[in-house]
Amino acid sequence: MDPSEVEFLAERELVKVIPNFTHDKIYLISGDVGPFSAGLPLPVPLWLAVNLKQRQKCRFVAPDWMDIDVLKEKKQEEADSRFFTPMPSPHYMEITQLLLQWGTDDIPKADEIRTLVKDIWDLRIAKLRSSIDVFVKSGESHAKLNYLTLMEINTVRLFLTKALNHMHQLKSVTSRDTTNSNSQAF
Amino acid sequence: MAANFTLDSNPDSYFSLDDILASQEKVPCTFNTQVSNMGYMDQSTTDTNIVSGTKLELPFWLAKSLDRGSRSIINIDTPKNYKEVYRQIFTADPNVVDLHKLGPYFYLFGGKLISLHLPDNDDIASVLLKTFQGRFRRIMDGSQNTLNVDLTSQVSLLDEQERLLFSAGQQGLHDFQKWETRESEKLSTSTMVANHRKRKRFVLSSKSS
Repeated sequence: MDPSEVEFLAERELVKVIPNFTHDKIYLISGDVGPFSAGLPLPVPLWLAVNLKQRQKCRFVAPDWMDIDVLKEKKQEEADSRFFTPMPSPHYMEITQLLLQWGTDDIPKADEIRTLVKDIWDLRIAKLRSSIDVFVKSGESHAKLNYLTLMEINTVRLFLTKALNHMHQLKSVTSRDTTNSNSQAF
Repeated sequence: MAANFTLDSNPDSYFSLDDILASQEKVPCTFNTQVSNMGYMDQSTTDTNIVSGTKLELPFWLAKSLDRGSRSIINIDTPKNYKEVYRQIFTADPNVVDLHKLGPYFYLFGGKLISLHLPDNDDIASVLLKTFQGRFRRIMDGSQNTLNVDLTSQVSLLDEQERLLFSAGQQGLHDFQKWETRESEKLSTSTMVANHRKRKRFVLSSKSS
């Protein structure tokens, strides 16, 4: 899966925007959006928000979690915990990326937010890598990780599946051999 | 295209190039019986026959088919790289070993050896798995951390299958990096079209001159 496909999925998440125009409800396959009235914030899918913003028809409202204090707290929590902590949004990375790309003027302290989110991401990826290592070393065939987001899974997907395939080959060689030698002993 | 083919090919497949290459690694064998008219295979004698007791290194595929049956023509010995001495090295620190030098298909060939039912089968099998588990972290960190750095020295220590794994890790990193720098949303010319134009220009310029 390509990161842009993950982004596509993330674009269905709802974000709040303040439109500067008035319009009736619009009916889309994915659901109804609106009605728009100038100056009143309303939730729209991310892709629509970006589109409206590009045509300068709206302003973004930063999601509740996109705030320096909340993110700092989250980062601390993530650093303190041995396990993954639940993220405020399943697509936090993609939403930050898109909102900050198009709406730097609407979101206060955009640069700091970008750094914090990246820090959280790095913490989680480091954690993910050490859990994978423990998993491989233990030789188990399955493991469960809570609260991983799609983008995080996606960065290790190709590598991890290949590594597990390889391990499976090495293991099946061993087990095939023991069954063979058993049947010979009979 | 060729790279894609090897990436996807399953080592158990009949047409897998890796599998074919791995099965021609040499195995030390001792002949139990005399074999007529095959003396040319032993470079050290001028006899027309291979006498019983001759030691030769045969490719795996040949050794395996000669080993079949109850009255076996040959006795197979464990190859040097999978013997006790080397196994101890692998157990001590799998990360420092140059697996590519020890046989570019260390794991694949090792798996094949096990099907020969050598006396130290179990040890070989467990060493294969342990070696991979020990080296895994390094491969993962190496492939996921470095961007635009020369990796030749690191990759040169890896076995062929590990290299595929390494490039898979690199690809994941590169894809993400591309997305993060918003490279992936830019439209770019396909390489085929770009090359085509160049060729056209080349043809035009050579015509006019």
